Amino acid sequence: MKKIGLILLAFVLLLSACGEPDASPQQSQPAALRVGWLGFPDTLNPAYAFLSESYTMFDLVYSTLMTEQLDGSYAGLLAESWSESEDGLVWTFTLRPNIKWHNGEPLTAEQVVWNINAFIQNSDGWVTNYGYIIGFVEARVLDERTLQIELEYPISNMEFRVSFLYIVYPKDFEGFTTPEDLQNFTNFNPIGTGPFKINTLDKDQRVIILDANPDYFDGRAKLGQLVYRTFDNSDALIQALRVGDIDFAAEVPTSAFEAVKTFEGVTAVALPGRSLSELILNSVPEDHDPVPTRNPAITDPAVRLAIATAINKQDLVDVVLQGQGIPGVSIIPPTLGGGFWFNRNLQDVRFDLAEANRILDEAGYVRGVDGVREKDGIRLDFRLQFPSDSSNYPRAADMIANWLKEIGIKATPSAVDPDSLVVAVNPNADYDLVIWGWGSDPDPDFMLSVMTSEQYVEGGWSDSGYSNPVYDELFAQQQRTLDDAARQKIVWEMQEMVFNDRPYIVLWYDDVLQAYRSDRFAGFIQYPTGIDAFQSLMNVEPVK
Amino acid sequence: MSRRNYLLRKFLFSLLTIFVVMVINFMLFRVLPGDPVRSVIGRNVRISAEMQASLRAQFGLEKPVFPDQFFATLQQWAGGNLGVSWSLRQPVADILMSKLGNTLLLIGLGQILAIFFGVLLGLFAGWKRKTALDAGALTFSLVAWATPTFWLGIILLAAGSSWLGLPTGGIVSPENVGKPLYTVLPDLARHLVLPTLTMTILYLGEYMLIMRSSILEVLSEDYILTAKAKGMSHWQVLWKHALKNAMLPIVTIVALNLGFTVSGAIYIETVFSYDGLGKLFQTALTKQDYPLLQGAFLLLAVSVIVANMLADVLYTFLDPRVKAN
Repeated sequence: MKKIGLILLAFVLLLSACGEPDASPQQSQPAALRVGWLGFPDTLNPAYAFLSESYTMFDLVYSTLMTEQLDGSYAGLLAESWSESEDGLVWTFTLRPNIKWHNGEPLTAEQVVWNINAFIQNSDGWVTNYGYIIGFVEARVLDERTLQIELEYPISNMEFRVSFLYIVYPKDFEGFTTPEDLQNFTNFNPIGTGPFKINTLDKDQRVIILDANPDYFDGRAKLGQLVYRTFDNSDALIQALRVGDIDFAAEVPTSAFEAVKTFEGVTAVALPGRSLSELILNSVPEDHDPVPTRNPAITDPAVRLAIATAINKQDLVDVVLQGQGIPGVSIIPPTLGGGFWFNRNLQDVRFDLAEANRILDEAGYVRGVDGVREKDGIRLDFRLQFPSDSSNYPRAADMIANWLKEIGIKATPSAVDPDSLVVAVNPNADYDLVIWGWGSDPDPDFMLSVMTSEQYVEGGWSDSGYSNPVYDELFAQQQRTLDDAARQKIVWEMQEMVFNDRPYIVLWYDDVLQAYRSDRFAGFIQYPTGIDAFQSLMNVEPVK
Repeated sequence: MSRRNYLLRKFLFSLLTIFVVMVINFMLFRVLPGDPVRSVIGRNVRISAEMQASLRAQFGLEKPVFPDQFFATLQQWAGGNLGVSWSLRQPVADILMSKLGNTLLLIGLGQILAIFFGVLLGLFAGWKRKTALDAGALTFSLVAWATPTFWLGIILLAAGSSWLGLPTGGIVSPENVGKPLYTVLPDLARHLVLPTLTMTILYLGEYMLIMRSSILEVLSEDYILTAKAKGMSHWQVLWKHALKNAMLPIVTIVALNLGFTVSGAIYIETVFSYDGLGKLFQTALTKQDYPLLQGAFLLLAVSVIVANMLADVLYTFLDPRVKAN
């Protein structure tokens, strides 16, 4: 009987809780923006961070020497001024005066130099910075506020590179002797120089509360607090926004976007981002080890052109993305550098099934009794795979398979576990057609590197296996070309090569979809990474 | 055989089972296709091929699975160490312990309520057989049992947050994070209502159906007729004579469920962003985080085996026939 009493007590407690008045956090802390997102940072240690949520936090808590602006150019952040030597081998940065760490200590050039040298000398430990410090020789202090970075060779995207080097508080990082020790340090109580500082971080409840940094060198943020809460499914996240449990949804699924637009007091935002989705055509050289396993017809330029002609990209955008994106053409998204790097001259192939049929007829592919074309005993019968964790690709694969059927090509869509797909694509080279996507850096260098021969090794980023010595040479050249206009010319030429050879048929550039309670907050600014870029959050304020 | 010997044998056998499960798990995760390093870092453009090789060495993956990785892992286990999670970079044992409490809270509350109302409903339905009450309870239970967890959770979430103003997820509100749970009971209770209700409804049906058929069987026994003939009230017959015998199948099913609800809570925890083991298992699997996977599955195996042992032990008390054998 006692037990039953206990159970009843528990039940009554639960019921009584329903009637509990809602203790709104806004009453006690004015101007707290409550953010809902679907992930949680794996670490706040910039040495070894993999998840994009970690980088969101880095931008809020730390600062970099320079930062990207809305138009794609770079401005000083910690740096007040900067210059490069004539030969491009020495960069000099002068720090702004009066920058303070969150603990009140002043930032010195010596501390910045310690950071850069640690990245260079202990690159096994500072794994995530590695790509940004290749070609750095060393950093040195000139005076209290001035430092120099010496380079092995001129680096064309130096400003972009330093915009990803987060400057950490040296005392927190000095003691680690091995790369493992450094990497296992999660630094959930970081000291930075950024516009917000961590008040509470609970990795179990997955809640992060940040306070505005009153001493921030660029002025105090208009918000008092940022509260991040993790949701494990997007339906709950959207519901939370609808009922006002959160003020900002950092990710809105495509399928929910139209519905979110109709919510009262909510503004939904779709802005051009930096990601793309593409159809990968197996382009691995025949002499690769292991030998590619594929339908050899996929390497025939006529077949590639026919496939490109038979894909209606506008339809894909309208149906798969429900209009939240634009058709793709180049591997460089149009947003990079404010459009500077995107080759505007590329004329995409026009969708025309009759023309696609004609191309295949001319190339000698003849329809068999089942409607599938064939030449010299090789049937145009391809696997069309996509990672199973995507909600957009199944639909896209079906649509593409239907168009291809019209031109006598059989494509069999199948969802594959992403881990298996990675290995099938590189290094096994065992695929015909794969739909996948990328999130690009603001600088074109990374997306261009995906097409280089040297990236087609185990652990490399090439998936198409595209190999073109001229392209590889141009890639190395653009990395060292300091003049922006000259570099642009090379970058455009590279895009054209990829477009014509078709290791990728770029399908679309999707928008970043976010939403916020416009009945409570205003002042968001649209950055390519979203309206929650730190510069935007600095500007957000409550509605009167 | 004495009860002590019986239990000792059961215990040793359980230990052996756990060991076999661990060895099988070790093999199982490693035959999965894919590359753990790639899974952990995702499609992170910041990690070069050289860096991936150094991570692979750090995880011990460059050595052959057998014998090197296998014996290294065995040695670790023998020292009572479950290793460090690759994706979360914390000791596996710490991670598991921090999530276990939350999951037990949810499962415990949900199961207690489901058992209580399920048994009660089954009892009345069986007693009032072929009445409207019986038909109603039966329909409700069948529907509840057949409802997909995820769907029910989302429906309750939408309804509860829209109409009752209940929270949309988490265990406590952000402003109460980090405080000991007992200091924020009302807030905790508000957050527990919907997930608990989901779990209660889902399991209630099963318990009700089993209780109903079990009580029907018992009520047809001769000794019940005797009790009625002695002039006892319906209530007394039901409570004092029928219930205890009818509870036997429930004990079995509850014990079995307790083991499996740990994994069954995955859906509920995902819908309500509830920080428990379920979500952790999912992360471990998608990231191919071997140390975390091994730890998580060890915990699962242990909970199923312990629950089964508990049922065996309870049986020796509830049912004299088990002892006699």
